[in-house]
Amino acid sequence: MDGGKVTLGRTAGLYIGAAVLRLAIFTLLPGLPDLLTGRVEISTPVTSFKRLQEGLFLYNHNVSPYDGGVYHQAPLFLPLFSLLPSFATYPIFTYLLYIAVDLLNARALWRIANSGEAGSSALFTSPRREKRWSGFVIAAVFLFNPFTVATCIGRSTSVFTTCAILHAIAKAVSGAPLGAMVALSFASYLSMYPLLLLPPLLLLCYDRQRPERAVKSSLAFASIHVSIVAGVLALLFQMSYLITGSWEFLPSTYGVQLTLSDLTPNVGLWWYFFIEMFDSFRSFFLAVFWLHLSCYVGGLSVRIRRQPLVVLTLLLGIIAIFKPYPSISDTSLFLAMVPLYRHVFPLMRYSFVIAAVIMYATFLGPAFYHLWIYAGSGNANFFYAITLVWGLGQSLLVCDLMFAVLRDEWEVERPEMVGKEIRQI
Amino acid sequence: MTPRKQPPPESPSDIRRRTHVILSFWLIILFLGLPIWWWTTTIYRARLPLQEMLEWADGKACRPVFPLRISIQANSLQEQEAQNLLRLTQHALDDLNDFSGHHLRLQLSPPSSDAKQTHDSGSALTIRLIPGETTTATLDPLEPVLDITYPPNAIPLPTSSSSTLATYVAAQLRSTFAEEQATISYLLSTNAIPSEHRPQGLSPEAAESLSKRTTRSLKYAPTYHLTFSLFTSGPLPSSWDIEAAIDEYMKPVLDVLSPIHNFTIDTQVQLYATPGVQNQVLNKEDLSSFINAAEWPLSPSIGGAPTINFIVFVGNQTIAAASQSPEDASGSESSAAHSWLIPQWGTVYLLSLPLDVTHLSVASLKQPLLTFTSHLLSLTGTPQSGSLPLRLSTLARIRSADLLLRASSTLGSLARLALALPSISIPRSVADGVAKTMAHLRLACETLGGAEGLAHARIAEAEAERAFFEKSMVGQLYFPDEHKIAVYLPLLGPVAVPLVLGLINELKAWSKRRREMAKRGEEKKRE
Repeated sequence: MDGGKVTLGRTAGLYIGAAVLRLAIFTLLPGLPDLLTGRVEISTPVTSFKRLQEGLFLYNHNVSPYDGGVYHQAPLFLPLFSLLPSFATYPIFTYLLYIAVDLLNARALWRIANSGEAGSSALFTSPRREKRWSGFVIAAVFLFNPFTVATCIGRSTSVFTTCAILHAIAKAVSGAPLGAMVALSFASYLSMYPLLLLPPLLLLCYDRQRPERAVKSSLAFASIHVSIVAGVLALLFQMSYLITGSWEFLPSTYGVQLTLSDLTPNVGLWWYFFIEMFDSFRSFFLAVFWLHLSCYVGGLSVRIRRQPLVVLTLLLGIIAIFKPYPSISDTSLFLAMVPLYRHVFPLMRYSFVIAAVIMYATFLGPAFYHLWIYAGSGNANFFYAITLVWGLGQSLLVCDLMFAVLRDEWEVERPEMVGKEIRQI
Repeated sequence: MTPRKQPPPESPSDIRRRTHVILSFWLIILFLGLPIWWWTTTIYRARLPLQEMLEWADGKACRPVFPLRISIQANSLQEQEAQNLLRLTQHALDDLNDFSGHHLRLQLSPPSSDAKQTHDSGSALTIRLIPGETTTATLDPLEPVLDITYPPNAIPLPTSSSSTLATYVAAQLRSTFAEEQATISYLLSTNAIPSEHRPQGLSPEAAESLSKRTTRSLKYAPTYHLTFSLFTSGPLPSSWDIEAAIDEYMKPVLDVLSPIHNFTIDTQVQLYATPGVQNQVLNKEDLSSFINAAEWPLSPSIGGAPTINFIVFVGNQTIAAASQSPEDASGSESSAAHSWLIPQWGTVYLLSLPLDVTHLSVASLKQPLLTFTSHLLSLTGTPQSGSLPLRLSTLARIRSADLLLRASSTLGSLARLALALPSISIPRSVADGVAKTMAHLRLACETLGGAEGLAHARIAEAEAERAFFEKSMVGQLYFPDEHKIAVYLPLLGPVAVPLVLGLINELKAWSKRRREMAKRGEEKKRE
């Protein structure tokens, strides 16, 4: 399939189909959105739509939205959602906003796919690049992925972060480093962790500069664009300050992510660990967990320097496993990027195991949560065990994808080894 | 079979790249991980004046001395005669006294014409010398005044070295303060006060009776919660004038006790209450199980303060006469058959009423409340001999000594804890608490015996308790170093293995490359 041959009608059909599916779920199953909003797999303390409603209510009544200790999201969401007609009376506008964000994400993915960056970057061209999926298929895989649909129906605010990250990558591959940096700043402003994507994104932007206005010195390029990110972030913080009237939002949004003060269970690995942690070691292990999350950035960027998009994809996977408040929305973003590497799928060794483990955790996770919280016949260990399996499935996928990409690179150096068993030493 | 093919040598760019990857991990560990580890796990230990704290606990820092000033008022005596009598009495007192910590110091108060203004507040007791027929001594029931009458011939001559009146006054004083002295010596003897300061000659019987009294009274607390409960066996009476009755009969004593304790009060009424014992006549053994702890809503403590329960039980039960121990009948005669004191808990008063009484008036509550008041005094540890004002002022002195010793021993425990556990963290608030405690202890020690001393001792005790029971310290009370291995190893061990092995391999490869380079260089030279 070739992206260029996809007719306008098919594109419109895909988008309309995805929109109609979401709209149908919203309108025909009116109980489902609220049910999904309450699920810990979808709504974390830092992305929950319910908490956003609470913050919005306080904000509209001229009370600081962070006063209740419930709302931990960025302040700029508040004016955005206040502009919409009230959710209580016209929920359709909120639904349409979330559907639009999903379609924008799909469009960005489409552009990333069609750029061909996954198969041939500036420094490396895969011999297998011909065997790839078109933007249409990748967008369709994203739009009809049950995780994406569930996130959209659950109205988790992480879709906005996803949108910003995907647009940052799309801008970067199309040679618009400025747009990429601004989009990444927005993503970082909303969720903080996308700041970890800055180094590989800088590399990607550097590799895909338009030749007519390229900055040759890598150091100059990096410093210019880091200062752009810093400037945009400062501007966003200033706007937030003007909106809320105090710097209180910093500890309430980023402070909560850094210190994990809200220990609501989620699909990640942090909450259980910090429930059990001795108080005197809590701050040390918080630092260890954050360092662990961030220490992959340097290593991966150096090792897979020739394919920065791979680094971004792998980092998105690692973040979806190890960040403090992960949800299936982060996994859906990672799973949206993985099909770009259709050409290395034959090199992956554990595709079946990965698929089985992820399906297993997907079905058993809600069941174990139910046993623990509602039936009372299980305990927290049940749910934590299944989140460990979930993390295992994702880390297998990350490792296997990395293996496949490295093997792809290696086969270019050693053409005589193509198709042979190899052993890692 | 062909021998296994060796992989081709790595390209230099690959080697450099691997070095960079390993470096990128180790840079994060060295420049972020280690400082953070140091910063988050160092234990903050505020400096405590350990030596001084231990001195307080050993009683070396303060020697509790109660200088009691006793004024003698002798309006009918000449200045010269009075001075002489005072000197002789002081001599006699000093001869009798064997306990240096508790010292009676006589002074002559200026003759006053106003009979009402007899007692000045600075002194513990005023002796009023009144000429009379015989030598008698009576304690004024309302004021700390001891009236002594003497026959005219008892005035000592200026030249005489002894006088029967002086000896008599000294003996009277001594017997008046005997209980206080015994209590304080008992307190000192049960604490870690070195023996040279300790009074001698506390008889075993006296010690036993004192320890019995201490076990009966409640442990000291700055606040007591008083609960007045009306339990009735039937539907009536259903209301009582308890507030008015408390104001009338108990408030004066509570006011006098207010420098020592705060009191909070609540009341309750419960109808159809079944006591724990159904017998018509209650024997001594029944008294302890009379309280129906399972059904009566007598909460052990409200708001952290210990509760003293006062229960009026309306029913037709009586106490068997034989079960009355003389101590329990300390109230007035009529209450003897109706009430008993439960050590460290409170009092029960049995009230039998005609069946049709629906409301308990202030008057009918008079007797119960007077009993409660006298029991409250013994529950708070008030001494039992002497007039009420004397007993209360004695209580204040005993309490200040008690609080002083308690705060000192708490300081000592804290110092020993800090010495025994070198890895326990000591927050700044604890150091502040210790400093405050010591400042107030010093002030209390200087002003011991007065109202000021009591106030300082109370603050010192509260601060010492707060410092000792600091929340963040209690959690670490038992945290040996071996536990740290269990904390660090499970997570950091697996992470460290690949990192350390990678670093070692890299260093080995690097040194090998250097050796080969050197070899090649030598070969080149030789050529």
